[in-house]
Amino acid sequence: MVRLIITRLSTSIVSLIILITLVFFMVHATPGGPAYSILGVKATAKAIAAMNLKLGLAVPLPRQYAVWWWHLLQGRLGYSYQVNQPVALLIRVYMLNTLALYLSAIVLGTILSIIVGLIQGVYYDRLAGRIIGGLQLIFYALPSFFVGTILILIFAVQFRWFPTGGISDLRIENPGIFVYISHLTLPVLTVAIVSIAGLSRYFGQTVREELTKEYVRTAAAKGVAFPRILFGHVLRNALRPLVTILGLSFPYIFAGSIVVESVFSYPGLGWLLWQSALGQDYPVISAIVLLIGVLTILGNLLADIVNGLLDPRERFD
Amino acid sequence: MSAILKLDDVSVALRRGKARAMPILDHLSLEVSAGKMLALVGESGSGKTIATLATMRLLPRGAKITGRIMLGETDLLTLDEPAMRRVRGRDIGMIFQNPLSALNPTTRIGAQINEAYRTHTGHSDRAARARTLELLGEVGIPDPAARFDDYPHQFSGGMRQRVMIAMALACSPKLLIADEPTTGLDPLVAKQILALLTRLRRTHNMGVLFITHDLSVVEEYADDVHVLYAGRTVEAGTAADFFAAPRHPYSQALLGAIPRLGQARLLSIPGTLPDPEQRPSGCRFAPRCAWAEPACAESYPAPQSLGGTTAACRLIAHIPPFVASTNVAAGQGRQSHAAGTLLEVENLTVRYARTNTSLISSLFGTAPKFTALDNVSFTLGKGECLGIVGESGSGKSTLGRAILQMVGYDGRIILDGEDFTALRGAALRRLRMSVQVVFQDPRESLNPRLRIGDSVAEPLKFMGKSSAARRQAAAGLLERVGLSARLLDVYPHTISGGQAQRVAIARALAAEPRMIVLDEPTSSLDVSTQAMLLNLLKDLAKERGLSYILISHDLAAVSYMADRIAVLNGGKCLEIGPSVALLANPSHDYTKKLVDASPQLRPSTGSLQISQSIQSRQAS
Repeated sequence: MVRLIITRLSTSIVSLIILITLVFFMVHATPGGPAYSILGVKATAKAIAAMNLKLGLAVPLPRQYAVWWWHLLQGRLGYSYQVNQPVALLIRVYMLNTLALYLSAIVLGTILSIIVGLIQGVYYDRLAGRIIGGLQLIFYALPSFFVGTILILIFAVQFRWFPTGGISDLRIENPGIFVYISHLTLPVLTVAIVSIAGLSRYFGQTVREELTKEYVRTAAAKGVAFPRILFGHVLRNALRPLVTILGLSFPYIFAGSIVVESVFSYPGLGWLLWQSALGQDYPVISAIVLLIGVLTILGNLLADIVNGLLDPRERFD
Repeated sequence: MSAILKLDDVSVALRRGKARAMPILDHLSLEVSAGKMLALVGESGSGKTIATLATMRLLPRGAKITGRIMLGETDLLTLDEPAMRRVRGRDIGMIFQNPLSALNPTTRIGAQINEAYRTHTGHSDRAARARTLELLGEVGIPDPAARFDDYPHQFSGGMRQRVMIAMALACSPKLLIADEPTTGLDPLVAKQILALLTRLRRTHNMGVLFITHDLSVVEEYADDVHVLYAGRTVEAGTAADFFAAPRHPYSQALLGAIPRLGQARLLSIPGTLPDPEQRPSGCRFAPRCAWAEPACAESYPAPQSLGGTTAACRLIAHIPPFVASTNVAAGQGRQSHAAGTLLEVENLTVRYARTNTSLISSLFGTAPKFTALDNVSFTLGKGECLGIVGESGSGKSTLGRAILQMVGYDGRIILDGEDFTALRGAALRRLRMSVQVVFQDPRESLNPRLRIGDSVAEPLKFMGKSSAARRQAAAGLLERVGLSARLLDVYPHTISGGQAQRVAIARALAAEPRMIVLDEPTSSLDVSTQAMLLNLLKDLAKERGLSYILISHDLAAVSYMADRIAVLNGGKCLEIGPSVALLANPSHDYTKKLVDASPQLRPSTGSLQISQSIQSRQAS
């Protein structure tokens, strides 16, 4: 198990180095360079040269690359052009909001997917399984902004149980746990509902396949009752591929966050990314891209480690 | 002797989807006694596994079972599910063919055995642990306490089967059902498992229902034999009577299909097993039987007893009886191959990087290596068949892959004067075409999305033949391997395993190779199908001057096919020599052990005489 972690960790570090290098070049590939984006189309050549000097872009590329690393290791991500705040500070606030939203959505979505998938896998040829299969297709086809809007219409506009959006309330220092939860509920439900459709279908298929495996017949031949076969034997084996899929779905969930956070005006990374993209705020964009990359790598690392815990064959000992 | 299990006129029909229930097993009656082993023998499709699943009431939903299945005084068919669950594992233990997939891969073996015990006794985990350790010791797992927390993948195939047996024995059942427990195991390991089962059933006075497709496996161990064909009993009797004088033509054919040392030609059964939907109303074997008369097709023959066994055959009195003979011409010489050398393998060494090495160590080439083949040298003559035998992990498959240039190696492989390592580009590709391969699992090795005709014709594409010419050539090749040209346009999943393997052979022939590597070509097939394929391969070799490298753990099949045999162990070649001499007089201890574990190699039965009598009958 220790070897698994070390091996996967070394692979992750290599991926990180490649990612950071890619982001560095991405910033330099912006049309006209950063100075041009800051000063605008009417900037003179002289002003651009001065800005390049100020931004540290006048030195040779290898040196800039080294400085980029040096700053990164100190946690310095530059200044936002738009709000003139350190990017690191800006991101810390928005990232916490995003993590709160997505971690709760993933936990809720996964638990529900497991329950729905188990029912579907066991009763795949019965009415219950068919109804679940049909619902999955319908929900899979619904885009997240549609689900979010419907939820807002029903629970915020009609019943007034939850707020429609969150941006102003959450900017208050220490808004209190209940305000926080009331702002989180609808976005979390939206993300969970959208992810359950695909995840539960996948998990249901895995459960159905696992149930035909020979070890299930062995357990039945031992006289083990069906619920115990399902929860004691099948569940753990079926979870493995689900964990892999979850690890891989991190970037997609973040990509979807732009839409969901916009619908709810939720101050998360997706919303920040959208705003920064509109204002061509490159330092913020590159920092967010870097962060999403890091989270994706961490997500996969975590999935590998959980798989190692679930399946002894994955451990390298 | 008291019967533990008694099947009385049991029939099973299975329903697939909405289709009408299809009879799979008809009117099966048998008895397993305490401390005895009954071998239920039949090829795939005979209904033998269905019989055991019916006994355990583990058939899929929609299955219909009629008759009586008596366990002592209880008819299992009258029990409800909770009562039946108490029977499973407590009164009847069961072990399966492939212990790796039959054990839960993510649960420690100790916990899996504990579960079997706790399910029926309600004991605590601690009490169960003591019982489990005792069981592991009894089935011969060294140091049970240390292995208790290991997972199935950490055991070898034989040890895994011992774990399965320990699990089945947890509640000291009266009956053990063993469904092909030794199929797929190396002969040495299979022998140990059979010896273990024999010892256990004697010490526990436990009945054993042993399912197998291979009569040679049970010859030494069974007390009774029961042969099924297409869902019906064809012959039953004590093992002593049965092996001394099998009466039914199908039983005789099954025995004749088993390769034995020094045998000139295997007996193969013409035709194929009828579909459950299209079973003949009379004797089901009649369409394939050498002695069949028109009357055989009219009604199912009543069982008749003769010479100890009971056989369902009208003509039992007319079929030549068994001629006992202990003197088979073991030294039947094979023609020498003066035609010259085709393949030279010099100092072949293959090292694999161990899997699961870290990225860093693989980047810098510091990953530990494992030597799969160690300095192996031999030659293969034109038209010769060289058998490569050894246990799993001996390096025999690696040898085949090296000859096929599918793995990197040190040393030289020279085909007809041309060195593979010295060639590049088109010349290398041309040379590689002259070595073809047939793998173990024919279905896995055919692309499921390609029609049979396209699979066979694929090598011809590389030779630049037109589409029409390819199709014609593919039809000719299929015909040569005994298949109809009708199969050109069907997909692999619609044909049987034996047919699929013929297709694989046809595909190998399409490239007009000079030699074929046969990697366990018949290991996943029934005995009679194996006989047909081995005969076909022999004919093709003679007809086209082909050379073979035959890789197999089945010494009997190798002894039938090979002119010379090389014995591999731990990546080293222990000895190499002419088949008959090597098997009759093994110089190495390891070879001796291999020979001892292959009952078919003892030329003590008279199956040759049977096969000759049927062959002359088939010829006329």
